[in-house]
Amino acid sequence: MTDANGMSDANTDVIQGTMDMLILKTLSLGPLHGFGIARRVEQVSSGVFKVNPGSLLTALQRLERAGWLDAEWRQTENSRKAKFYSLTVAGRRQLEVETEDWTRRAGAIARLLEMEG
Amino acid sequence: MSLWRQLTYGLRGLVNREGRDREVADEVEQYFEEAAAEWESRGLSPKEARRAARRDGGSMTAAREQAGSYGWENGVKVLSDDLRFAARQLWKHPAFTVTAMLTLALGIGANAAIFTVVESVLLAPLPYHNAERLAQLETYRSQIGRAIPRVTWPDAMDVRSQSRNLETVSVYNGGKVGVELRDHSAYSIVTFADTNFARVFALRPMAGRLFTAEEHAAMVSERFARDNFGAAQAAVGQVVRIEGEPEEIVGVLPEGFDYPGGTQVWVASHPQPAWQGRTSFNFKAVALLRDGAGFTQTGTELEALSGRLEAAYPKDNRGKAMRVKPLKEALTGDSRQTLLFLWAAAGLILLIACVNVMHLQLVRSMERQRELAIRRALGSSRWRVMQPVFLESVMVAMMGGAAGVALAFPAVKVLVAMAPKELPRAAEIHLNLWVLGFALALTLGTAIVSAMLPAMRASKVDPADALKCDASRGMTRHGAGLMRDGLVVAEVAATFVLAVGAGLLLRTMMVLNARDMGYQTRQMLVVDADAPVTQEMESLRAVGMFDELFAQLREMPGVEKVAGVMGLPTGSYGSNGYYETKGGETGGGLPVDPDHPAWSNFTVASPGYFAAMGIPLKRGRDFGAEDTHESGMVAVISEALAKQSFGAADPVGRQIKCGLDADKWMTVVGVVGDVRQESPADVPGATLYMPMTQHPFYANQIHIVLRTTVKPLTLMHAVEERIAKTNPLIARRYTTMDALMDQSIATERFRAALISSFAGVGLVLAMLGVYGTIAYSVAQRRFEFGVRMAFGAERGAILRSVLGHAARLACVGIVAGTVLSVMLARLVTSMLVGVRPADPASLGMVSALLLVTAVCAALAPGWSATRVDPMVALRAE
Repeated sequence: MTDANGMSDANTDVIQGTMDMLILKTLSLGPLHGFGIARRVEQVSSGVFKVNPGSLLTALQRLERAGWLDAEWRQTENSRKAKFYSLTVAGRRQLEVETEDWTRRAGAIARLLEMEG
Repeated sequence: MSLWRQLTYGLRGLVNREGRDREVADEVEQYFEEAAAEWESRGLSPKEARRAARRDGGSMTAAREQAGSYGWENGVKVLSDDLRFAARQLWKHPAFTVTAMLTLALGIGANAAIFTVVESVLLAPLPYHNAERLAQLETYRSQIGRAIPRVTWPDAMDVRSQSRNLETVSVYNGGKVGVELRDHSAYSIVTFADTNFARVFALRPMAGRLFTAEEHAAMVSERFARDNFGAAQAAVGQVVRIEGEPEEIVGVLPEGFDYPGGTQVWVASHPQPAWQGRTSFNFKAVALLRDGAGFTQTGTELEALSGRLEAAYPKDNRGKAMRVKPLKEALTGDSRQTLLFLWAAAGLILLIACVNVMHLQLVRSMERQRELAIRRALGSSRWRVMQPVFLESVMVAMMGGAAGVALAFPAVKVLVAMAPKELPRAAEIHLNLWVLGFALALTLGTAIVSAMLPAMRASKVDPADALKCDASRGMTRHGAGLMRDGLVVAEVAATFVLAVGAGLLLRTMMVLNARDMGYQTRQMLVVDADAPVTQEMESLRAVGMFDELFAQLREMPGVEKVAGVMGLPTGSYGSNGYYETKGGETGGGLPVDPDHPAWSNFTVASPGYFAAMGIPLKRGRDFGAEDTHESGMVAVISEALAKQSFGAADPVGRQIKCGLDADKWMTVVGVVGDVRQESPADVPGATLYMPMTQHPFYANQIHIVLRTTVKPLTLMHAVEERIAKTNPLIARRYTTMDALMDQSIATERFRAALISSFAGVGLVLAMLGVYGTIAYSVAQRRFEFGVRMAFGAERGAILRSVLGHAARLACVGIVAGTVLSVMLARLVTSMLVGVRPADPASLGMVSALLLVTAVCAALAPGWSATRVDPMVALRAE
């Protein structure tokens, strides 16, 4: 598997390990299909994070199998069939855990960086 | 929850592969459509929008592949694809597949079969209660420097009452005797045991009860009850006569218990005054160790106990020490060496099989060198290149293993049928899970071993090199040929070791068969006869009855000579022990070393026995009618006994006595030739012959020997009729001296036959190996041969060079094999009779055999090398 897409502009691939959290967070606002999630992540991060469809769909399968997401094919607003993902109760709990974990780490890193400056 | 989803989603993906692929493809397509739709809504043309979507998301194919490869089921899929590929490869190369599979089937089958026997006999616990606490009591005698598996009654009683580590001790004896039922007698294995016997083995009768000490009672096996009374319950209450005593059957023991040695009837024994001797080792004893008392601890205790006994009975117990041995070891000890030996031989076969398959694999991997090189050049990892080689090997091994196990079923049957009667626990031998596990382990082991070299070579292929060199033009890499030659050498060496083993054992058999036993074995009918008697008077009457019977039998046409004997060589009855000669000047016996008392076989015979057996009378006279119960006691001795106790002096007229029954002095009246008592492997030794009339107690259970002028067994019916007329209650069985001889070397024959067949298999495999190597190298050198012939090389020279190659390989293998054989030879020394372990004749024969085999195997490829048409060879490709 080679997933080097050779992009070297300002936007970055999603940081390793945070994809799950971003997906869970995005879905906590309501069910979305794959492209919807990608667009939401890019929009909210003002284009900082760029989502690769292969990685995103793989991650969605992983989360679904972990029991954090449920998936269902239904009509989109422009009447095409799409696979919509929604958060399960377990997924909501997982989001809390991951958010807390992330905040703790980010805080720690921020403090370390401030100390330097 | 999540694990459940992993499993079900994965399985769904596995079962409905297409469905899953379609779903992933749909989702990817939909993703790109949405992306394009969004670009379109921002004002791009549909075409531009699609291009923009692809610019952002990469190629759809890549996304599909990435998303589709998620999940454990994909690993399974890759493996199953590889397996299918391997299976196809094997299918396309049937010669390789079938040869490798059969080779492994032979190796694994032989090992599984031998292991079945080893496991059931040596490893599995005894099928009795408290199996690991059961022990046999033995007597160590410093005079003979070893332990005998028997005890004297008083010693065993002392151990029973004094040992605190032994919960209980049971003393028993017995053997094959006639059991009188209502209308006939049946030969059965009967054990006379005390009441502790049931306690040692925690016996529970399936019908009736255990016997008690006071009664004349017996217990019988379930089989005996079924065969003779129809059912277990029906046997209870019946009365049988054993050795003249009526015994009531009080209980039936369940199937599966037949200790000792296939016993059918257990009779309550009653201590007799005659048992009190501390020098007659007429009993065996089993003991149950107390829970927690180990064998070492018990051994120490018995050592101290033996010391006390020695102090109390300085004359009789001198140099005697009581010991315990785990019952399993006592039962299987003798067969251990043979079985382990066979196991090692089977291991060698497997090794040869492995080498053969490894060699086949190597040839195959060389054929596909280009394919592998291309794969490497295209960027496959080393592991990916090795994987198919391993998979193929595992598949071949699995098929071989399955065929091997299938082969093992009949092989075990044959083994058990062939095995000598002495093989303990033969009835327990069966394939079980342990054996299957062993076979599986062997299979995987062989798969890995035989694939190791080829796979490593495959992974080391340097694409550039491999593509450059072209085997068909004779430009093989040097290392390859060397490795193949090495394998053939190893194979020849291993086969050599096997064949030398077979040669030595076969020579032993030849020696044994050709041995002069000291008596005639041809034209001898042997009748085991057991006359029912109890009191001595009845015994005397039995002697008279036998005498009359002999006279009648002598009258029969075809019968030349008839005699009776207790202690027939290779027969089932017999006795031996110490004897004394009247020492000093009065008797003229040689001085006796008190630590090594003179030992001899004891034989009780009727007049005419020596003539009937063809044992030469060297001095004095045979027993005769004048030697009656009332006349002076006489004896005949063998030459070895005369030499051992009287030296050069004339023994006739000297005095001798032994503890067989009466402790009386006997006058030596004759000297006869020595015989080999137990088997042809025995040394001709000292024998003390006594007349039946003077030892009537030993005259009821005898062998009748008939020297015939016709084929012995043709007289069986006539003799049977005659004996039945005289006394139908005599239990009798028929055999011939030749058959008895044969049985006495059954173990040797078993070993020789098995090792020979192993060596035969080894030889065939080695032949295949040599053939394969030479054929392959000839095929590769066709171009070279073509060139040589184009330049005028003689066909003979080419044939010579090919055969020379095979002969060189064989010679190196033979030299290595000789070294190995000489190193391993001491392991088989104890199995050889009349042959030295480094027997030059065997080594020479085997060397010649292997050399001829190797050259023969090379003949066909050699001949085909001379048929190479230069023009065709040069034009080929």
